[in-house]
Amino acid sequence: MPTMTRAQLFVSCLVDLFRPRAGIAAVQVLERRDIELEVPPGQTCCGQFAYNAGHHREAAAMGRQFVRAFEASGANGSPADPLPLIALSGSCAAMVKIEMPELLERDALRQGRTSATAARWRRRAETLAGRVVEFSEWLDGHDSLTPFDVASPEPAASESLQVVCHTGCHMRRLLGVTEPPLRALRRAGVEPLELIDADQCCGFGGSFGLIEPDISAAMTDAKLAHLATARSEGATCLVSADLGCLMQLGGRLSRRGDQFPTLHLAELVDLADQGRLTAAEIERAAHGQGGNA
Amino acid sequence: MPGVLPPATAPWPERRRRALADPTMRAAVAKTTRNLAQGKASAYASYPPGEAMRVRAVTARRSALAHIDALLEELTGNVEAHGGYVVRAAGPADVGRYVLDIARRRGAERVVKSKSMATEEIALNEQLEAAGLRVRETDLGEYIIQLARERPSHILAPAAHKTRGQIEALFEREAARTGVTPPTCDATPELTAFARRQLREEFLAADVGITGGNFLVAETGTLVLITNEGNGRMTTSLPPVHIAVVGIDKVVATWADLAVLLQQAPLSGTGQLISTYTSFITGPRRPGELDGPEEFHLVLLDNGRHELLGTEYEDVLTCIRCGACLNVCPVFRTIGGQAYGSIYSGPIGVVLTPLLGGLDHAPELPKSACAMCHACRDACPMEIELPRYILKLRRTEIEKSMEPLTVRLTFELWGRLWASPAGYRWTARLARLGQRAFMRKGRLTKAPGLVGGWTATRDSPPVAKETFHEWWRRRKPGSLT
Repeated sequence: MPTMTRAQLFVSCLVDLFRPRAGIAAVQVLERRDIELEVPPGQTCCGQFAYNAGHHREAAAMGRQFVRAFEASGANGSPADPLPLIALSGSCAAMVKIEMPELLERDALRQGRTSATAARWRRRAETLAGRVVEFSEWLDGHDSLTPFDVASPEPAASESLQVVCHTGCHMRRLLGVTEPPLRALRRAGVEPLELIDADQCCGFGGSFGLIEPDISAAMTDAKLAHLATARSEGATCLVSADLGCLMQLGGRLSRRGDQFPTLHLAELVDLADQGRLTAAEIERAAHGQGGNA
Repeated sequence: MPGVLPPATAPWPERRRRALADPTMRAAVAKTTRNLAQGKASAYASYPPGEAMRVRAVTARRSALAHIDALLEELTGNVEAHGGYVVRAAGPADVGRYVLDIARRRGAERVVKSKSMATEEIALNEQLEAAGLRVRETDLGEYIIQLARERPSHILAPAAHKTRGQIEALFEREAARTGVTPPTCDATPELTAFARRQLREEFLAADVGITGGNFLVAETGTLVLITNEGNGRMTTSLPPVHIAVVGIDKVVATWADLAVLLQQAPLSGTGQLISTYTSFITGPRRPGELDGPEEFHLVLLDNGRHELLGTEYEDVLTCIRCGACLNVCPVFRTIGGQAYGSIYSGPIGVVLTPLLGGLDHAPELPKSACAMCHACRDACPMEIELPRYILKLRRTEIEKSMEPLTVRLTFELWGRLWASPAGYRWTARLARLGQRAFMRKGRLTKAPGLVGGWTATRDSPPVAKETFHEWWRRRKPGSLT
């Protein structure tokens, strides 16, 4: 029995408010791998939406709260052994890892703070940035700690399942994480499929998707056309490690009267852990009828 | 001095509507861009030196900008030493005046042009036509667009949105107008043969040839033109006068710098190792030479470029107009180039249009024509930070209060509330109460304010009955401090 490792969970506002069962699934998955999780209760939003909309004053206000929240309840660990901060969204992870240090420093200067204070905000954000690990990336590095098939040695029913995996733009291009979600799916015993033009945006694009609903939907429809091809070849669901993309794709499907299942990667891994990876269970999980919630 | 760009042809909602309602154009643009993007990827993959040269090319371009004034002076001296004329033009009117002066002096009536973004930028054709000159575009795509009286839909492929059938119809009309035999069908060889016959007459009759320029080599005063159709050669060698209108940003110091740059545009733009025609033009025809124009004029166009030097946007001037950013942009693939309302479209257009033409030119571009996907940053061979530039432009527009008051207030209120856990939880509770009025079959199908933009085309799950944090607190009592 390996020793318990601690980690903090960065749920993201979208998972917290709109798809808590993805967060709950992530908790189950991580605890099964002997992680002692802390969920800093003060976390709200990383500020990415406001940041990419150009509203940096607001983004910085949320960013400072983010830093306070994750410093407060967990401490940072030691420099040699930093406490992992596991993110359930690739694009939010990119926000914290890549944009936040510069943002908080700049905003402190804008507020008229001293350069020492501004530099302190930058350092605090950098320390946090160094701890952030995207969920699939974390699984990739740690699934060897415990045997993957915790509950079921051979999930026979899932052997032939094909799953479409959509990797969000920021996860792909800013974090450079593209293989870990595919490997997580393979370890779960399913065959990951990538769509034609997989690297094209799903259409969400943060504020863009709200300002330009018609262009946004047209972009999504192009993606859904490729999804239709994958479905005709046997894909059973659409998985992503970014809830923003999932809400866009799922929301458009729903508007078109299509109930094709969409799952956060954590939900799929959770089902696989329990040996429940069947088309029927995926259907139930996607529509919020099964599982733990 | 800031520059001037041709005004948008219609307001944004109208341009957007037209684009989304044109499935033929959208399919053609999507297909062209995907082919070009794949061509780029396989070109670099099959040509290993390309990447190392690209890295050196970035350095060459940035270094040229750092020494631009000295290089332009060196260039000018060398062009003049070869018997050419060099003039600096601040903006569109300067170029128009200069070209018309030459035309008048020469008694010129007919002008042929090879494809040039610089002359599109200053609406040179319109200026010359207004003065009574007859201007003919000779790049096949530009010729088609000129006959259709449209603007290019793609920097590299101006007529990418036109089908062969549409082109045949345009050519039939032109054949009737000029009294020649029309194309017999819409097969590509037949269409190009028609254009070739027509354009051959134009070349032979032209008094002035106008080109742009891909690069300018300071150390020898050489204009570099890359084309795929050979029309550039005709334009620069048949008419007695050649005028090249080139942005000041196109200057490079040496042939060694040019050597690493020359392949980058074809590699990144069309996936070719090198363009079909690469022309090096150093001055007019010299005594004893058989070809070339009697006069060679180089018009160095500023139009807002010099003002960008030394600013955080300086690197945008390293753009080589390869179009790689257009080809990977999901928004461009969806709406095509004409919707941008600027001669520069795609990500580079979102950046260059306000930087050259002013923020008021097409203020919607930064927020409406970018999904912040960062694909353009990866595609740009010159490593221009396009997404960061677009984000900076969004910020600048907000700082200048160019967005609706309601939007600003929404963000301010939201920022204040979500900066504290109590405010965040309060909005969750409020949304749960408020959303009941907007739900159908367990989904949110309508919403007020900004979120209404979401529900216009997509459903959303409602805010959960129990949020994750509420679940966690229930599961681990006392964990919420």
